Order: sequence, then C-alpha cells, then structure tokens
Amino acid sequence: MGPVVSRRVLLSALAASLATSTIGCRRRARPQRRDGRIVVTFWYAYGDQVRRVLLELVARYNASQPRVLVEAVHQGDYFECLAKLRTALAAGAAPTLSHVVCEIVPYLARAGVLEALDGYDGATSIPFVPQLDQRGAFTGGARAPLSCIPFNRSTPIAFLNGRLFEEARLAPPRTWDELVEVARALTTRSSSGDVRWGFEVPTSWWYWVSMVGQAGGRLVDPDGRVTLGGSAGEEALRFWQRLVHTERVMRPPPGRDYQAWQSSNESFLQGRVAMMWSSTAFVRYLEDNARFPVVAAPLPRRLRASVPTGGTMFVLMRSAPDEEKQAGWDFVRWMCDAEQTLTWSTRTGYMPVTRPAVERLQERGWYAAHPNDRVAYDQLADVDPWPWLPELFRLERDVVEPRLEDAVLTGRDARQVLDQARDEAARPA
Amino acid sequence: MRPRARFHPLVMLGPTLALLLVFFVLPIGVAGYESFFSWDMLTPPRYVGTANYRALAAHGELLHIALRTLGYSALVVTGTMTLGLGLALLLDRPGRLFAFVRASVFSAYVVSWVAVALLWMWLLDGNAGVVGKLFRLLGGPPVELLGDPTWALPALALVAVWKLTGYAMIVFLAGLQGVPASLLEAAALDGAGAWGRFRHVTLPLLAPTASFVATTSLVTSFQAFDVVRIMTQGGPARATELFVYAIYEQIFLNLSVGRASALTVVFFAVLLAVASLQLRALRTRGGA
Repeated sequence: MGPVVSRRVLLSALAASLATSTIGCRRRARPQRRDGRIVVTFWYAYGDQVRRVLLELVARYNASQPRVLVEAVHQGDYFECLAKLRTALAAGAAPTLSHVVCEIVPYLARAGVLEALDGYDGATSIPFVPQLDQRGAFTGGARAPLSCIPFNRSTPIAFLNGRLFEEARLAPPRTWDELVEVARALTTRSSSGDVRWGFEVPTSWWYWVSMVGQAGGRLVDPDGRVTLGGSAGEEALRFWQRLVHTERVMRPPPGRDYQAWQSSNESFLQGRVAMMWSSTAFVRYLEDNARFPVVAAPLPRRLRASVPTGGTMFVLMRSAPDEEKQAGWDFVRWMCDAEQTLTWSTRTGYMPVTRPAVERLQERGWYAAHPNDRVAYDQLADVDPWPWLPELFRLERDVVEPRLEDAVLTGRDARQVLDQARDEAARPA
Repeated sequence: MRPRARFHPLVMLGPTLALLLVFFVLPIGVAGYESFFSWDMLTPPRYVGTANYRALAAHGELLHIALRTLGYSALVVTGTMTLGLGLALLLDRPGRLFAFVRASVFSAYVVSWVAVALLWMWLLDGNAGVVGKLFRLLGGPPVELLGDPTWALPALALVAVWKLTGYAMIVFLAGLQGVPASLLEAAALDGAGAWGRFRHVTLPLLAPTASFVATTSLVTSFQAFDVVRIMTQGGPARATELFVYAIYEQIFLNLSVGRASALTVVFFAVLLAVASLQLRALRTRGGA
C-alpha cells in the first residue's frame, strides 16, 4: 500500500500555506465584511468588571445599527496590548481600532501610524472635559494633528480606610508633612511581627510624576530639555525613601506595573494598609469590595497640588482601509455620546470624558450620592498636562521606571539615580 | 560505511543544516547587524555604531545583567544536579512506593512554567503564603521574598530547582542503570564502603550523564523568562532582570530593537563561552 499523502502533495501544501501567510501579512486594501457589515477589529486591554462593561457597550452598539460590526479582542494589560499593537503594526497586521496609554500617543503620532482625526465628522467639536482630551492633556497637544480621543481616563488619588481614620480621629493629609504624621499614627506593629502599614503606593512612574509636580517641578523645561524635574525629581525620590527607610511607615508593594497595583489594592481591602495612592479607576472596585467605608481624598501638596492624567485614548490605525476607519470612527463617536460615557464612568470609576456627561451626573444627583467620584472629578483642576514629546513613553519605561525601585528600595542617592536617568535619556534608544 | 557519492553526506545533513541556518545562524546574524542601529520597528532605522553596546555598558547595566544571569544559573545548575543526583541515589530501588515517589518528583517537571510560577507566588506571599507564615511561626519578621532585592533572585532559583530536579533525577536514574553491578560488587569485596563505591565507581561512570544534565540545566536556566515575567517582571530594583527578560523588555516594552539585539549578541557569546567551559571541564573530568 502506497503512502496516503505523497511527499509531492505535502510539499505543495507547505508552499501554498507559506504563500498564503505572506499574502495575509500585506496591508489590506478592502474592509473586512461579515453579513454585509463592515467589521471593525478593536483591541482592548481590560479584565474583570471593566471588560464586562466594555463588552456590554460593544454589544449595545452592534445591536443599535446594521452597518458596522465591532469585534472586541482582549490583548492583555495595557503594556502587553501595546507590545502586540507595535508588532502588528510592523507586520502590517494591525487592527482598525485600539486604545493606548496616553504617554505613547506623541510617539505613535510621530511614527505616522495613527490616523489624523481632524477631518472626521464632529471630531473637533466633541465637548470633552478640557483636561482629558489631546488638547488639554498635553502641552502642545492642540498644535499637533488630532490623533486620539479620550476613553478611559483617570488620575492618581488617595484612598483612605474610613474606619481607621475615624477611630484615630484623623483627617485626610493635605501636605507631605501631614502624610508622614498620619502614616506614623496609623502604622502598627504587633508582637507577632504583623504590620499594618500607614501608607502604600506602587513605586511607579505615575506617582513619581505626581510628586515631582507637587514639589514644583516639570519633566521637561520650556526649551524642551529633559530635566526629569531637576531638584523636584530628587526631592520626590527622597520623600519616598524617607517613608520607606527612615519613618518605616510605607510598604513598597512587590511586583511591577499592574501586579504592584493589584497588590496594593489587596492590602488595602484586607485592612493591612490604612491609606494608599491608586487610580480613580479603582473607586468602584474598592467601594464594592471593601468591608469598611472607602474615602477618596486629593493627593497632598508639597509646594502645590499636582496630578498627571492616566488611562488610555482611542486611536485609529492609519493602515486600515478607509471604510473600516470610517466605521471605527462611528463607534468611537458613539462611545463619546453622553449616555455611553455615563454608563462607562459610573460603572467603572473612570472619568466621564465629556461635559454633557458630567452635567447629567450632576443633574441626576450622582455626585451627591457618590462623593468619592466628586473628589476625583474636582481634582482635575490640579492636572499638569504631559509634554507632547515623542520620547515621553521611553522616558517612562526605559529611563525612569526601572530606576525608581532601585532608589526607593535600596536607598541609593536620589541625585545619582536621576543623573544616570538624564544621561540615559540623552542616548539614542 | 562509505557513501556511494561524495555529496551524499551533505544531502543527508542538508535539512538539518538548512534549519540551523534559517532559525539560528541567520537570526543571530540579523541581531548582530541590527545591534548597530537605533530602531523602534515603526520608524526607519538609524545607524548608531556601537552606541547600543556603550549604552548597555554604561553604569554597569550589562555587567549586572550578565552577573545576575550567571548567579541564577549557578544556583539552578548546582541545586538541580545535587538534588537530582541525591534523589536518584535514594530512589533507585524497586517497589511501588519508590516508583510513586519518583513519579511525584518528576511530575513537577511536566507542569507548565506559568502554573509553577503562580503556585509559588502564592506560596511565597509574605502574608498569606506558607513560607511567610512559617517565618512568622518561627518568630521571624514578615518576609516578602519576591519584594526583597536580596532574596528575589534566590527565590526564583528555588522555584526553578523545584521544577527541574525531577528531570535531573530521571536522567541520573537512567545513568545509574548503566553502572555495572559487577564493578560495585568488586569494589565492595575490595573493602570499599558505600561512600567509597559512590566516590570511586558510581560518580566517575556518571560523568557523561552529569555533563548532559549540567549543560541542559544551564541552557534552561539561561533561557529563564516565564518565571520572571509572571513572578517579578524583573524587579524589585531590577534584581531579577535576567538576559532573556531584559531582551524582551527592551524590544517589546521599551521599543529599542537595537538595544535588544545588542543584548542578544552578548547573551549568545556568554552562553557559548559558559557552555564550552562547562563541557570541557566535565569531559576532562570524565576522561580522567
């Protein structure tokens, strides 16, 4: 009996599959269609409750009209999604639509991979909350072509264990000095070695930038030179070192990126930390899961109040076929309508990104019933915009973030650490 | 056996050589070339000469990554070999109980790195984990091994040893089957005790097996990625940033293809040098 499949057939099949995969990597000229509808592939990066709300909204959009079908594809956390997006862009296999952390938008815009949105119907007239869209979230963002639309936006905020604060008759700290005092008062060490920490914050770029601003510094000087806050950057690091090593009132959470954030949330919910800095995005999650009253408070000042914005922006990929981009824009525009914005922000904790949505929340008494959301919204007055700098994301991931832990955990000299970071920033990537 | 034509051996080797060329030599060559450019995959590459190597060497970053990886490998290779050999000697006995224990020890090897990493994250948790509780029971302070720059790397090595020991044990058990019983009996008749028989008969005959286990464990430990990615992401304070994770971080998170390529070239050179030295040492000892 001869072989079932001859070698010639096998080789032909292999050659055919290779040829097909090569063609598959090419840029598509025509939009994907299914049952007559244009398919918009949307890469997103959430889990749990946020993911559920997003998928509900996508399903609602798909049911609301017959022309466009949005297919939401989960791609891990923000940075995993970004890594996949960049690789897909390089391979010519990018989705139509995604959302990316705001710090990388200037870089992607310079790389020419984002669709300029100025010409899309209504793109420049959506009444966004000024601090949250490209024009307000970036210094110089208004001069650049419109490349992104605010989606899930947030700021750092303080969360306090209301019960512990009430028992100790303490008020939320308004300055760095008060933060130290409160953290001291709330840190307890049992004879068995258990510690309840007064304060916890992930050792990460976002919180360091907050502290740099509070200490009166900026990442980039008016000439565009990267200073990393100068002496304010060093002061922020020294304050962190003081909390961990001298005062011993802060627990640096283990892990990096969202693992550290998750660890902080768990410690806070378990009552092992009295006060933490986290994202406004977690307000609903913490309120729903804590067995004590969760109280939000603005971050304390040093010389002034300051917070950066965080979260992500919608971006359309320039490489997608025109019809797909138009369909993707239709979905983005729909997501910015007050009703969707309301659903999104009230069920997740992310900021409402348009003014009509905020007005409706006020009319419906949402802020009176949810004072923590009000604190988060009011803190937008203290936002320091990011510089519209293509190197901004590299500063975050490659230059500053890896050195923060080094300084905070090992107690290395803050000036030396930031001098090294500035030296690294001056080198080619 | 002589080939019928001179080119026949080349034809036979052809497929393997082609695969090696396409999937090994060519990528290393491409990495070497790209290490002289600044490139983010989206904008055109820019020639920067040796700037990527100089940037990695600045502030001792490259040296730290190399030393960290070597330290981790040393812990993993010695731990795996010692425990694997010890268990093989202990469990090289007939009976269902020993067979069950052998299978249990080996089972860790077939579990995925991701599952192993998640399991150990829970075990090593300073508050809720078994290790943390054990420390506190013994009167020690709360320990967060994965959050401590001094202990995070040994903790990861411990996890790798736990997973790889079963593999080493099985290979050593196979090696022990090749030790002739007659030699051991002769040594016993000559008055050699258990330690003497092990030291002068079993161990020299196990040298090729040890060489194999050491080399494969070394390569596995140098390729450590999953365990770092899941348990520490290179932290705290870069204490667990090993070569492969640093390459991943440079290319996918920091957008630096040039830096990642430079790291790949250095990684290849270090691995080649260490593997050569290790093989030479073990072969010399085996032949002595």
